[in-house]
Amino acid sequence: MQVGIGTENDLLLKQKKKNLKRKRIDTWLLLLPTLAIFIFFFLLPLFFLFITSFKTFDPSSGIGNEWTLQNYIKFMSDPFYLGVVWRTVKIALITTLITIFISYPVAFQISKSRGRARNYFTLLVLSPLLISMVIRCYGWVILLSNNGVVNNTLLSLGWIDEPLTLLYTELSVVIGMVHVLFPYMVLSIMGSLEKIDPSVIRASQNLGASSFRTFFSIMLPLTLPGVFAGSVMVFSLSVSSFVTPAILGGPQVKVMSYLTYEQVAVMLNWPYGGAIGFLLILIASITIIAYSKILARSEKGVAIQ
Amino acid sequence: MSYLSLENVVKTFNKTEVVKKLSLEIHKGELVSFLGPSGCGKTTTLNMIAGFLEVDGGKIEVDGKPVHLLPPNKREMGMVFQNYALFPHMTVYENVAYGLKLRKVAKSEIKIRVQEALEMVRLSGYEKRYPKELSGGQQQRVSLARALVIKPKVLLLDEPLSNLDAKLRQEMREEIVDIQKKVGITTIFVTHDQEEALAISDRIAVMYEGRIEQVDTPAAIYNYPKTDFVSQFIGEVNHIQGKVLEAYSDKRCKMHFFGNEQIVAIQSVKDSEVHFFIRPEKVQISLGKSNESKEAFLSKVERKMFLGAKTRYILRANDQHLVADISNTVLNPNQIQEGNNVYTFWNPEDLLPSRMVR
Ligand SMILES: Nc1ncnc2c1ncn2[C@@H]1O[C@H](COP(=O)(O)OP(=O)(O)OP(=O)(O)O)[C@@H](O)[C@H]1O
Ligand SMILES: [Mg+2]
Repeated sequence: MQVGIGTENDLLLKQKKKNLKRKRIDTWLLLLPTLAIFIFFFLLPLFFLFITSFKTFDPSSGIGNEWTLQNYIKFMSDPFYLGVVWRTVKIALITTLITIFISYPVAFQISKSRGRARNYFTLLVLSPLLISMVIRCYGWVILLSNNGVVNNTLLSLGWIDEPLTLLYTELSVVIGMVHVLFPYMVLSIMGSLEKIDPSVIRASQNLGASSFRTFFSIMLPLTLPGVFAGSVMVFSLSVSSFVTPAILGGPQVKVMSYLTYEQVAVMLNWPYGGAIGFLLILIASITIIAYSKILARSEKGVAIQ
Repeated sequence: MSYLSLENVVKTFNKTEVVKKLSLEIHKGELVSFLGPSGCGKTTTLNMIAGFLEVDGGKIEVDGKPVHLLPPNKREMGMVFQNYALFPHMTVYENVAYGLKLRKVAKSEIKIRVQEALEMVRLSGYEKRYPKELSGGQQQRVSLARALVIKPKVLLLDEPLSNLDAKLRQEMREEIVDIQKKVGITTIFVTHDQEEALAISDRIAVMYEGRIEQVDTPAAIYNYPKTDFVSQFIGEVNHIQGKVLEAYSDKRCKMHFFGNEQIVAIQSVKDSEVHFFIRPEKVQISLGKSNESKEAFLSKVERKMFLGAKTRYILRANDQHLVADISNTVLNPNQIQEGNNVYTFWNPEDLLPSRMVR
């Protein structure tokens, strides 16, 4: 009898192990295509770029043979390049802040609406993502250029005597970025608004809070995780974006991705371009890690019930 | 003099009347339960009293003053929700203190009152916990403390116990009644659990399809249901029908049931069919004929179910089923086997005449 139980247990254990192994293989099998693409087309080139960034520049072949730290030193010690870093981060931060303020009311309204109105609203919000990035940017060029719609209107109204410089400024870059990135923020905030239990709002009103007070004491704190998550997305997308600053900012408003492009495609200085690209990745990663630390803290008291 | 009064209150959703001219008077310090099947409008009525829904007709008064036009934050009513609705980002202390802060109570007083409220619900020492660190029962007690600490005029509870397990539910309901009596607060308690309503209420308002069918003490609701719905909804009933053999002038009739005659206090006419309800525990059986059971008729025991303190007998007589619940101290269930014939009888007063027309 004793022996029988022993072997039975052994069998069970064996079967369990087998199942576990099976499961692991299944998981890997399912991940394989994505993993392969990720490794071959992203990690590997990145790795080669990383190595390249420590090579010297050779005017004839692009990449020299010697190892050097000169690329990084050159970037870090030049005020012009540091200025570009600062501008890139500044534009990303301003874009993030503006999207928060624009998106919150929109998300609030959508999460309150029901049925068909809700679908239309959502479609409207997502519409910037449906149009090609380049076309959308040239749309803004038409609006903002010296004899564009905005300037012409203001001139004909007699409000200004000379056209305002709107295009190829940090302002135009921020406008373009906010336009394309605010859907991410809206969706993210909507997600956390919808998680709020309606009876919690009622409880607040029942205890004597006005709608205004309820918003600031209950709704806002409970949606902060969504705001943070949206901010991480918007910030990292705008810090590394290329098309929008290239079209709406041009050479006058250089950002880091533009510098990288310039070095690699125009100057054919691969090592230096690689170094700039890597610093950009570093900046984005540091910000995201910092953000997620804050995010983790802000979620501490917020139960997802 | 009633403290909270509803007068012809109406609520319409998408052209269907969900609450139909509902009127109710509640006295100060009274605990009234709204009891009714799912979808009968209990929550809707409560939400109109709390101000989360506008009334589409009629009026609501508290202490003689109309409140149905005030927004919820001006009504001074404490509400306890089914899913507790605690603020997840605030500690227990902050949750309870929220209403007091809004009323600009001094910090030192807030501290004292929160402490008192938490003591009342036996949760002192939990001030620094977050809601998700509490059990369901504890969360509901915080919710009760939060509602009561602002000294509201009326306490509204919407199925506050339905998310708790059976044993805790019973403990909590006693605790709620204790606190309610101690504070002396006028209370409406919504439930669809009749046992709960019978156990804790001063009066029960039985609701059905947006109307109040009967408002009465638990005993009166149980023993003297005024409508067929109430008879059938509260407790269990047997349906029986009998024929009027003779109608007397003093509102009594000689009735014929199961081949047996009995005089019952109803008003009817000769030869008409009359329907009655009788509760299983009012049906009595005996093995032999005695003085008590001289009007008894014979029925056959089809099934016998042991239910702990009592035994349920499914009887058959004249092709009709009859359920009898007999206390095991009154009749030893071992004496009766399935298939036996037993004498069956009841007190004529225990028959609940039906208004049902078939
Ligand atoms: N916002 C609404 N829109 C449309 N119909 C509603 C709405 N709220 C409730 N109803 C309807 O009103 C009726 C009463 O609902 P109510 O929530 O008051 O029932 P209840 O008695 O509380 O039921 P339960 O015991 O299930 O909680 C139901 O038929 C419901 O479908
Ligand atoms: Mg309800």
